[in-house]
Amino acid sequence: MKVEAIEYGDRKVYSVGAFNRGVSSWLQRLPTVWVEGEVTELRRSDRWASVFFTLKDPQDGSCLGVSMARGQFDALRLELADGDRVHAYGRPELFEARGEFRLRALSLERFGLGDHLAALERLKTKLAAEGLFAAERKRPLPLLPARIGLVTGNDAAAKRDVLTAVTTRFPPANVLVAETYVQGPRAAGAVVEALRALCREGVDVVVVARGGGSFEDLLPFSDERLVRAIADCPVPVVSAVGHEQDTPLCDLAADVRASTPSVAGRLVVPDLAQLLERLDRSRAGLERGTRRSLDRERRRLGGTHERLGRAPRLLLERRRAKLEQSAGRLRALSPKATLERGYAIVRAGEQIVRSGGSVEPGELVDVELGEGGFGARVEETR
Amino acid sequence: MIFEEAQRELEQIVQRLESGEAPLDEALKLWERGEELYRFCKERLDTAEGKIEELASRAEAAKP
Repeated sequence: MKVEAIEYGDRKVYSVGAFNRGVSSWLQRLPTVWVEGEVTELRRSDRWASVFFTLKDPQDGSCLGVSMARGQFDALRLELADGDRVHAYGRPELFEARGEFRLRALSLERFGLGDHLAALERLKTKLAAEGLFAAERKRPLPLLPARIGLVTGNDAAAKRDVLTAVTTRFPPANVLVAETYVQGPRAAGAVVEALRALCREGVDVVVVARGGGSFEDLLPFSDERLVRAIADCPVPVVSAVGHEQDTPLCDLAADVRASTPSVAGRLVVPDLAQLLERLDRSRAGLERGTRRSLDRERRRLGGTHERLGRAPRLLLERRRAKLEQSAGRLRALSPKATLERGYAIVRAGEQIVRSGGSVEPGELVDVELGEGGFGARVEETR
Repeated sequence: MIFEEAQRELEQIVQRLESGEAPLDEALKLWERGEELYRFCKERLDTAEGKIEELASRAEAAKP
C-alpha cells in the first residue's frame, strides 16, 4: 500500500493516519506464530465484536495485548481465569485508530502442565526415533582431561559443588567455567552458545550443571536446540540438571548422566591419589617383570655352563669304560683263567715243558698253579 | 601421546614382562619403554597445576 507523505521543502511528513496505515500494512506481512503467555485483564462484552486480554510472560513480565473475534473466542469455551497459561496463534497487528500494537489471535489453546508434559513426550519420542539417545552414541569420558568445560548458572551452588568435587579428587584439574542463563526463555539459547564457546576454547569434556528447580525452571534443558547441541557436542558431555527424579531431555542426550553436580564433578576427573598408586604399582611390576626375565636367563645360562663343565669328565668316563672292556677281553685270553680251572704250567729253567721227553728224571722243574706254585723233582718220564 | 594411552601401554608392558614370556632382549627393551612411559605419566601428574578460569574473562582478555 502506498502511503502518501506531505512535502515541506526537503522534509517528508506523514499524517498520523498515514503512518499508522503504513505500519499496519507492514505488520500484516509478518507470519502467523504461536505465542505462549499467561492471560490477564480479560475483557469481554456482548456489545463488542472482539474480546481483549493481555498475555504476560511469567519469566520477565513482558506484556502483549491480544484481540480475538468474540464468536471464535466463545466457541472455544475455554473458561479462562487470570493467570491461566495459553498458546495464542495469530499475527501482529496495529489497531490503527489508536496506534496500538497487539496480537490478533486466530486460535487459542489452554496450555497447562499436562500439555507441557505431552509436548515433551512428543519431542522425546521424535528425538529417540532419530537415535539421539541411543546407547551406542554414548562416548566414554576421558580419564585425565587436560581441561574441563563447565556450563552453569551464576547461582553459586551448582558451580561450587562441581568445582569442589573436581578439585578435591584431582587438585591439578584445569576447569573453564562458562556462566550463563539456566532459567527462562533465554536459557536454552544461552546454554547452547556456552557449549559452543567452550568447545571453541578447547576442552576435553563438558559438564552442564544446574541445581534443582521447578518443572518449568528446568524446561529449557528439554529444549530441542539444547538437546541437539548436547548430542552434537564434539566432546563428551556430562549432564547434571535438577534432582534425581527430574529427567530433562538433555540428560538423555548427554554421554553420561549425573544425579547431582557433585557426582558430575567426581565423574570427570580421576582420583589423583589412586592414579599415583596405580602408576607406582605399574612401575614396581616393570622392575619385577624385568628381574624375572633376567633371573630366568641367568638360570638358563648357569645350566648350560654346568653342562659344559661336565663334558670332559663324561668323555673321560666313557674312555675308561671302554678301557675296562678291553681289559676284560684281554684277561679272558690270558692263561691265568685256565690255571684257575686246575691246569698247571711246568717250567724247566726258562722253558715251558710241553712233553715228557723234554725233561730227565731227577731234574728240577717249577710248577705254576692258578694260585701260587711249587718246585718239584721229576720221578720218571713217559 | 595422551595420558590414557601411555598408562594403557605401560600396563600392557608390565603384563608382558610379568608373564615371563619375553626373551631377554625384548624384556630389556620393554623395560626401557616402560620406564619412559612411567616418567611421562608421572610428569603429567606432577607438573599439572590446578586452574579455574571464567570463560567471560578469558574472552575479554583475548580481545586486543
